[in-house]
Amino acid sequence: MIEEDSGVLSRSPRQLAWLRFRSHKAGVTTLVIATLLILATLFAPVFRTLFGLDPTTRHTDLLNSQGYPKGGFNGISWQHPLGLEPGIGQDLLARLLFGARISFTVALIVTVSTVAIGLVVGIIMGYFRGRVDSVIGRFIDFLLAFPSFFMIVALSLPMIQRLEQSGLLEGNAARVGYLVIILIFFGWPYLSRVIRSPVLSIRERDYVLAARALGASHTRIIFREILPNLWTVVIVYLSLSLPGYLTVEAVFSFLGLGVQPPDATWGLLISDSIKYVLTNPTYFFIPSTALIITVLTFNLLGDAVRDSLDPKSEAS
Amino acid sequence: MLKKESGNRNNRRRILALIATLSLTSGLVTSCSSSSNGSGGTLLFLTNSEAWTHADPNRNYTGQHIAWFGSFMHRTLTAYNRAEGAAGSEVVADMATDTGRPSADFKTWEFTLRDGLKFEDGTPITCEDVKYGVSRTFATDIITDGPTYAISMLDIPKDKDGASVYKGPYKTDGNDVAAYDNAVTCSSDNKTITFKLSRAVADFNYTVTYLSFSPVPKDKDTGDQYDLAPVSSGPYKIEKYKPKDEMVLVRNENWSKDVDPIRNAYPDKIVVRFGVAEEVRDQIVLSDSEPNAMSLDGILPTNLATIFNEDGTTKPEWSKRALNVYDPYVTYTAVNVSKVSCLPIRKAIYYARDFAALLQLAGGPAFGGDPADGVIKPLMGLDYKPVTGLEDFKPAGNPEKAAALMAEAKTTCPDVYAKATGKGLVFDVGDTETNKKAATIWIDSLKKNAGINLKFNFIEPGQYYAVVFDPTKQGDLSRAGWAPDWANASTVIPELFLETAGFPLSRVGKDPAYAEFKKRAEANLSQSDRKKQGEEWAALNQYVMDNMWVIPGVFSKTQEMWGSKIEGVFFWEPQGAPSFGDIKVKG
Repeated sequence: MIEEDSGVLSRSPRQLAWLRFRSHKAGVTTLVIATLLILATLFAPVFRTLFGLDPTTRHTDLLNSQGYPKGGFNGISWQHPLGLEPGIGQDLLARLLFGARISFTVALIVTVSTVAIGLVVGIIMGYFRGRVDSVIGRFIDFLLAFPSFFMIVALSLPMIQRLEQSGLLEGNAARVGYLVIILIFFGWPYLSRVIRSPVLSIRERDYVLAARALGASHTRIIFREILPNLWTVVIVYLSLSLPGYLTVEAVFSFLGLGVQPPDATWGLLISDSIKYVLTNPTYFFIPSTALIITVLTFNLLGDAVRDSLDPKSEAS
Repeated sequence: MLKKESGNRNNRRRILALIATLSLTSGLVTSCSSSSNGSGGTLLFLTNSEAWTHADPNRNYTGQHIAWFGSFMHRTLTAYNRAEGAAGSEVVADMATDTGRPSADFKTWEFTLRDGLKFEDGTPITCEDVKYGVSRTFATDIITDGPTYAISMLDIPKDKDGASVYKGPYKTDGNDVAAYDNAVTCSSDNKTITFKLSRAVADFNYTVTYLSFSPVPKDKDTGDQYDLAPVSSGPYKIEKYKPKDEMVLVRNENWSKDVDPIRNAYPDKIVVRFGVAEEVRDQIVLSDSEPNAMSLDGILPTNLATIFNEDGTTKPEWSKRALNVYDPYVTYTAVNVSKVSCLPIRKAIYYARDFAALLQLAGGPAFGGDPADGVIKPLMGLDYKPVTGLEDFKPAGNPEKAAALMAEAKTTCPDVYAKATGKGLVFDVGDTETNKKAATIWIDSLKKNAGINLKFNFIEPGQYYAVVFDPTKQGDLSRAGWAPDWANASTVIPELFLETAGFPLSRVGKDPAYAEFKKRAEANLSQSDRKKQGEEWAALNQYVMDNMWVIPGVFSKTQEMWGSKIEGVFFWEPQGAPSFGDIKVKG
């Protein structure tokens, strides 16, 4: 082949990144764990049919007269690897897996949407500069200065009611819908800010000038000349904001803004487990540990991806 | 009277409350002055409600709150005896010199006030003040949520809509004040009050134990706002009352033990801390970090095992600091019959529900109570007879029976059937952690056993009854608990189901079975033979269950706990609460 003939092995940037990633131990480990986590939540309904991991079946016979799982340690057994939820006796592993579907869905939708909006707005700001930049820039300042946390809490009840009255969404769907919408609303400016600066410098590069001199349209310049240079930033941002929104979702369901029973998310399970910190510590530790492992995994994975794509930036 | 919707509010408020608690605990120091008879000190109450449902004596209808305000602030003509066990249900004279003098036909009752009674500002309490207090009950647009015995019992004509022609003290036009003045009269020395009743009420002296028969000074009455600053006639007065924060009661210098035979008033100061997160509240008492504290809300099921053995008895080290007893309440789920006008569906809910799991969640039979078969508790003796026709009840639910009933409903009432199996029935409950878990059990068991969908409406516990009392806001099912106001089911059956009654959560007025019920219940109210009356109440209890106007829950038990410096607590049976007025704080 040609490469062998020349005696020098040439590699594309993508191949280089993959090579760097493969030698990143934490990266590979977390990639495996993250893949397993995603597969487990994705195929939770399959596990239900295969292993009977059903989140709604209440195994009340395995609880004592006061609602505690029999046998201590939250009733951990082969049938129920993480034990049962005290009081109602549902399988905790199944609850976690099905709960993760909601948490992951929220995090995924919010991440993808904020990245999409943030990317477009950021490019527009950097590319057109001038008045467009300053108008959008001030609006972004306004959003960033906003006390969004309190806004989300305060608006939740009226907004959820509006959503339900509008007939678009019902019950828990409305609650999740509200969370998604408002998180996207407050989430996109961060990426726009990040994107704007590289765009400012890229648009002055010679090849962009050349394209412009040749009469290329704005669309062509943006999509063919500028965008390909931004993928590194976007991928890194994507991999770091996913665990961020997972935590945010957990925080809001912990505070009672997310889904309500009978559905469960991790935040809801954590909030419930707190009551058992002294009487049933096993149950207390399981959902919190699950959240810590997941967020840590995605964060480390995000770091590894950044290290491989952009080795010049400082390693954390 | 109502059972308090107690428990944890949602977590958002939990965190704010936690911050508030942390900042408060550092500032609060127990005063240590103590005299020989056990008086002195500060008594601290912890609750996670944001405020009292009502502090206005005319609007207070929660057993525990009546006991609390009755012990500390509001005096009545007669009151329940402060004693443990059955003796506590006896009526004794309070502001009156005796327990009332009825006429031979029990249609006129006379009470004479003691000398030397004073309000907190030093003005003497007269018959006119009591008369004014009672009159406020009639202003049903402003004085809401309270007992309405004054309206149903006093001899005041009704207009064509069945409402009293007297509309309370706030209205002037179209208000028949003369009718009220005729029914309630004061003697010329302003000491003796006479009530004329529309029917014979042999136990009217029990009726007047309610705070809605306590005195209210006319010039201090602020209508709706009186709820925040009621004037005291008892041993303590309000120094501070700030909902979501705290209430502080200090000694009322114008109250004298000489003219009050029943109140002890040991502590110097009483503090109620609102909005304490449920876990924090329990931990304060469990760890005894504030030994003068008492929980007002019962105990989290998760903490029961720390204090009690599995059979419900108190562990030795807790024997002086906790109790677990049957209270007078029956819990149930009121079916809003005006919306769920379909008997097979109501029955299907009863049979489909996984009662065993709900009881287990409440702490099991040792703490939750026994399955109820109606709204009358067996303790009522004369008025109770086991309800028949519920033989197919299975603790964990009876899917066959429920399915058969649903099949029947599909043909007989397709509208309600479509709603129940489609959009779902709305279930009102207090926003508590335990209720959220209970919701899971309800939703799951009704869906599985009967195909009924449920949607839960979680309401802030302090607001709960105010919301469900409003017919426009009430859902299809509402959780509730009720206890007889005194030992006669005349305070249960008519109060819960007559359209004009105080607590008509079942809204049965349009039910085809209502006409007969109304006739029998109203006739039985004036039945003078107590034994026959009791038999008829039992029969009407059966009638209610035949029509499944409520889904019965449990004959409930209650648990209380308090700090190590608190002494003299016993369970005051008629009020279903600890006898707050007898509590001492050790120095």
